[in-house]
Amino acid sequence: MVVSRKLLFLLGPVAGIVMFIAVVWMATVFVGRNEYKDPYRAPAATADSTPRAEGVAAEKDEAEKKAQEKPYAEAEYRRFPVVGSRVAIWAVAQLHLLFAAFVLAVPIFAFIIEAIGYKTGDPRYDRLAHEFSRLLSVSFSLTATFGAFLTFMLIILYPKFTNYLMSVFSPTFLPYVLLFFAEAFFLYTYYYGWGKFHPLVHLGLGLGLNVVGTGIMMIANSWLTFMMSPSGVSSKGALISLTDAIYNYTWMPINVHRFIANIAFGGSIAAAYAAVKFLQAETDEERAHYDWMGYIGNFVAISAFLPLPFAGYWLAKEIYAYSQTLGLTMMGGAFSWLFIIQAVLIGNLFLAANYYLWLGMGRVEGAQPFQRFVKYLLAAIVLCFMIWATPRSIIATVSEVRAMGGSAHPVLGFLGVMSAKNTAVNILILTTFMSFLLYRRTGKVASVTWAKTGHALQLSIFAAAAFVVIFLGVYGYFVEASVRIGLSVPQVGAVLLAMVSITAIDIFLFRKPRNTGAVRWGRIPAISQYVLIFIAVTFTWLMGLMGYVRSGLRQHWHVYGIIRDNSPDAFTPTLGFATEVVSVTVLAFFLLIGFVFWIASLHDRPDFERGQSL
Amino acid sequence: MTVPHSVRIGALVLATTAFYGYVGQLVPQKEVQPPPEVAIRSDLTTADMVPVGREIMAGKGLCFTCHTIGKTGALRFPDLEGVDVRAKSRIPGLSDVEYLAQSMYEPDAYIVQGFNPGMPHINQPPISLTDQEILCVIAYLQTLGGTPTVTLRTTHRYNGGTAAPAPGAAPGGGAR
Amino acid sequence: MNILVVLAVVAAFGLLRFGRVSLLVWAGAWWVGIYVLLRFGFTAPIPASVVSLYMGIVSIAILAYVSSSQERRDEISRPLVRFMTDKRYTAFLAATVVAIPALAAANVYVQMNVPLQPPLFSRTVHPASPSEITVHDKKIDLDAGENPFRHLEASSPTEFRTHVENGRKVYYRNCVFCHGDNLAGNGMFVHGLDPIPTNFTDKGTLPMLRETFLFWRIAKGGPGLPEEGGPWDTAMPAWEKFLKEEEMWEAILFLYDSTGQRPRAKEEAAK
Repeated sequence: MVVSRKLLFLLGPVAGIVMFIAVVWMATVFVGRNEYKDPYRAPAATADSTPRAEGVAAEKDEAEKKAQEKPYAEAEYRRFPVVGSRVAIWAVAQLHLLFAAFVLAVPIFAFIIEAIGYKTGDPRYDRLAHEFSRLLSVSFSLTATFGAFLTFMLIILYPKFTNYLMSVFSPTFLPYVLLFFAEAFFLYTYYYGWGKFHPLVHLGLGLGLNVVGTGIMMIANSWLTFMMSPSGVSSKGALISLTDAIYNYTWMPINVHRFIANIAFGGSIAAAYAAVKFLQAETDEERAHYDWMGYIGNFVAISAFLPLPFAGYWLAKEIYAYSQTLGLTMMGGAFSWLFIIQAVLIGNLFLAANYYLWLGMGRVEGAQPFQRFVKYLLAAIVLCFMIWATPRSIIATVSEVRAMGGSAHPVLGFLGVMSAKNTAVNILILTTFMSFLLYRRTGKVASVTWAKTGHALQLSIFAAAAFVVIFLGVYGYFVEASVRIGLSVPQVGAVLLAMVSITAIDIFLFRKPRNTGAVRWGRIPAISQYVLIFIAVTFTWLMGLMGYVRSGLRQHWHVYGIIRDNSPDAFTPTLGFATEVVSVTVLAFFLLIGFVFWIASLHDRPDFERGQSL
Repeated sequence: MTVPHSVRIGALVLATTAFYGYVGQLVPQKEVQPPPEVAIRSDLTTADMVPVGREIMAGKGLCFTCHTIGKTGALRFPDLEGVDVRAKSRIPGLSDVEYLAQSMYEPDAYIVQGFNPGMPHINQPPISLTDQEILCVIAYLQTLGGTPTVTLRTTHRYNGGTAAPAPGAAPGGGAR
Repeated sequence: MNILVVLAVVAAFGLLRFGRVSLLVWAGAWWVGIYVLLRFGFTAPIPASVVSLYMGIVSIAILAYVSSSQERRDEISRPLVRFMTDKRYTAFLAATVVAIPALAAANVYVQMNVPLQPPLFSRTVHPASPSEITVHDKKIDLDAGENPFRHLEASSPTEFRTHVENGRKVYYRNCVFCHGDNLAGNGMFVHGLDPIPTNFTDKGTLPMLRETFLFWRIAKGGPGLPEEGGPWDTAMPAWEKFLKEEEMWEAILFLYDSTGQRPRAKEEAAK
C-alpha cells in the first residue's frame, strides 16, 4: 500500500504534465483557427531573374567612394543591440538606483542603531549595526560600477541629450564626484574602523557618511527631476538660472520621498539578509540573533513605509501643480492601470507586514489572547485592499456590460474613485499601526497608575481618527470636485496625528512594564522568514514599478515640454512589457544581492587551514 | 527529502517576481505612440475641419484625458456635451468662437463654477497645438450643440484677430 | 443588493457557527461565501475580471489567516494530513490528485472555447442635436422650433385627427418593418439589427424627447448622427430622402398619439 501511495503522488505530476500538453495543444488549435494568415506570395528569389553581378560591383565602388567623402556627423542616438536603447538604459539605471538606495539607507539605520547602542550601553545594538554595515562595502562598489555603466550608456546611446543635460548642470558634476570621494572615505573608515575609535568619533563618521550620502542623492535627484519638471530654462531649453533648474517643482518631494523609501527598502533588504542567515543558522543562539535582526530590519522598513503614501501624495500634488497634463497622464491616462498594479503590491506589503507581526506573537509567551484580534484586523485589511484595487474603468465583456446596464457599475463605480481609495489607504495604515501596537502589548502589562485611562485614551484617539477618515471619505461624494481634492489633507493629518499621539502615550505607558511572558527570540516558524524575503522582493519590485512611472511619465519627451525624444523608443510601451522589464531587473538585482550576502557571510566562515579541510 | 534553503529562497524570489509580472499582463495593454506631426492643409472647409478637430482632441490634444462628452456625475472637468450652447452665452460679449478660443489659450481666465483651475495652455508645450489646429478643435466643439461656423481664416483675438471683446465684457478676459 | 442571496449566505454562516465546525471548513466557507456574495449578491452583476481580482485578495488573506499562529496551523493541517495519510481516504485522494489538473485543464478548455465577441463601443443613445438643420432646402430651428401641427390639437381637434391619421399611414408604410406594428421596436427586420430600433412604448424614449429632436433623428437618420453617437451601425435611414417634411411631422404626431404620451416641454431659454 505504501508503494502504491508513492505511485499515486507520482501520478499527480504525470497527469498534470499530460493535461498541460493537452491544454497547450488545444490552445494552439483554437488560436490557429482564428489566426490571421498572410496570403501566399512567391519568394523574391524566384521572381527576380535580372543579372546582378555588375550592378553589385558598381554599387560597392560607389559605396566606397561615398564612405571616403563622408563628413563627421554627430549622432543624436545610437542603438543598443537586441533589446534596444530604452530597455538597456532602463535596466542599468534601475540596478544602479536599487543599489544606491540600499547603500544610502543602511548607514541611516546603522547609525541610529549604533546611537541607541551607545546611549543604552547594550552591546547587542552595536553588534547589530556592525552586521548591517557589513553589507555596505560590496554594495558600494556595485553602486559605483553601475553608476559608471549608466554614465557610459547615456553617452553612447543618448549622446545629444546627455550633452544637453551636462550643459545645463555642468557646475554640479564636479561636486558630485568630490562627494563620491568623501562617501568612499567615510564608508570605509566607518566600516573598517568599527571599534577602533572612541564611539563618539565613530558615530561622527557615521553621521558624515549619511550627510554626504544624502547630498549625493540630492544632486542626482536634481538632474532627473529637471527632466520631469524643468524650470530655470527658456522654452527652447537655454539655461536661465541653475538654482531654479535644481530647485524645480518635484526636487524636494522626490528628495523626501526617496529618502523615506530608501530606508524602507534598505530595511527590508537587511531583514531579508537576516532571514537568509536565520534559515541557514545551526544553533539556537544564531537563530535568536537573526530573528531579532530580521525583526529590527522589518520594523525599520515598515515604520518608514507608513508615512510613504503621504510623501507620495505630496509628490503627486507637486506634479499636478507643475503640469496638470503630466498629473493626468499619470492618474487618468496611459498610466492609470499602473496604479492598480501598485495597489496589488502595496496591499500585499501591508498584508505581509501584518502577517509577520501576527506570526511574531508566537515568540512571546502568553500572547494567545491577542490572537483573537487577528481576524478583525484581517477583515479591515482585506476590505481596504479590495477597495483600493477596484479599477476606475472596469474590464467587462459585452454581455457583462449589458447586465450591468452601462459601462459603469452602480456599486463599484463608487469604490473606484479617489475618495474611496484615499480612505482605504488611510485605514490600511491605521490597521497596520494597530497590529504593531498589539504586538507591543504581548508579554507585558502596563504598570503605571493611569494605565486604564491611557488605554482608553489611545483607543478613543484611534476611533476618532478612523471616524474622521471615513467621514471625510463619504463626505467627498457629496461635494464638488474643487472641495473634494482638498479633503485628503485632513484625512492624512488625522492619521498622522493619531499615530504620533498614540505612540507618545505608548512610550510613557510602557515605561516600566510588568512582564508576563518572555520573548523567546528564534522561536518563530520558518515561514515568517520567507515572508521577510517576500516583503523585500515586493519592495524592490514596487520601486522598479514606481521608478518606471516616474520616468515613463514624460512619454515622448527627454525633458518634459522642452527636449523631445525623437528616438525609435519614444513611444510608451504597454504595462505588460514594462512589468516584464521590471521583473527581469528585480531578478538581476536579487542575483547580485545574493552575491553581496554571500560575501558578507564569508566574514563568519572559519579561516582556511590546509590540513583541516582534507 | 529536504530542499536546500538557497533553492527555496531562489524559488520564492522567482515566483514573486513572476507573479507581479503576471499581474502586469492582466491589465489592459496599451501602447501610446508619440503624436505624429501632421500639417493641416490650408484649403480645408469647415465641414472638413470637424473630423480633424475631433481627431486632435482624441489624440495630440489629450482633451479626453479629462473632458467627457455626455457624462454626468462626479466629474473632474466640465462635460462638453452641448458646449456650444453654453459657449454662446457664458461670457456676455464673447461669441462662442471667442469663448472657446479663450478657454484654450487662456484656460484660467474663466473657470466654470464647481471646478478647479487646472487646464494647461493648449498652445504651449507640452501640448502646443498650432492656431490652425485650435480652429479645427473649435469647429468640432461647435458641432456639440450647434453648427460649425469657423474656417481656417477665422480670426479671434489670440491669432491676431481684431475681434476684441465688446465693451463691458467679462472680467478676466480682454487684455492681460 | 440581492437580499435573498445575502440572507442565504448569512444563514449558512449562522448554521456553521452553531455546528462548531473546524477551521478548514470555516476557511472554505468564507471563500465560497464571499464568492457567492460577489458573484450573485449584487443586482447589477460584478464583471468577472473584478470578481477574480477580489477573490485573489480573499484567497491570500484566508491563507494568511489560517497560518498566522501555531494553533491555527495545527488545526488546519490536521484534517489535511489525515486525508493524505489515512487509508480510508485513498480513493478520494486519488480522485483529488487527478481532479486538480483535470479541473485546471477544463477551465482552460472552457475559457478558450468561447465564441469571438466583437469589441464593445460605448455610444451615446441620445446625442445632443445641432441647433439647426436643413431639410428640403428649408432651415429648421431645432432649439426654438415646434411641430407645425401641434397647435391644432387645441384649436381644431378634427384637423389634428386627420394629421394623426396621415401619420398613421406614413408609419405603417415605412416605419413598421423595423419599429413593429405595436410600436414596440420589434418589427420583422429586428433580428438583423444592432442596435435594435427604438421601442416607442418605452417610457424612457418619447416623453424624454422633444418633437424637434425626433424630427432631426427621422430626417437625418443614422448617417446624420454626430461623432459621439458612433459607431454608426444603426440602420435608421435618412427619411428626408423619401418623405416630405409634413409627412415626418405627422408621423411624429402619430407616435405620441398612439402611445398616449406627451412630448417633453421646451426648456427655458437660458440653459
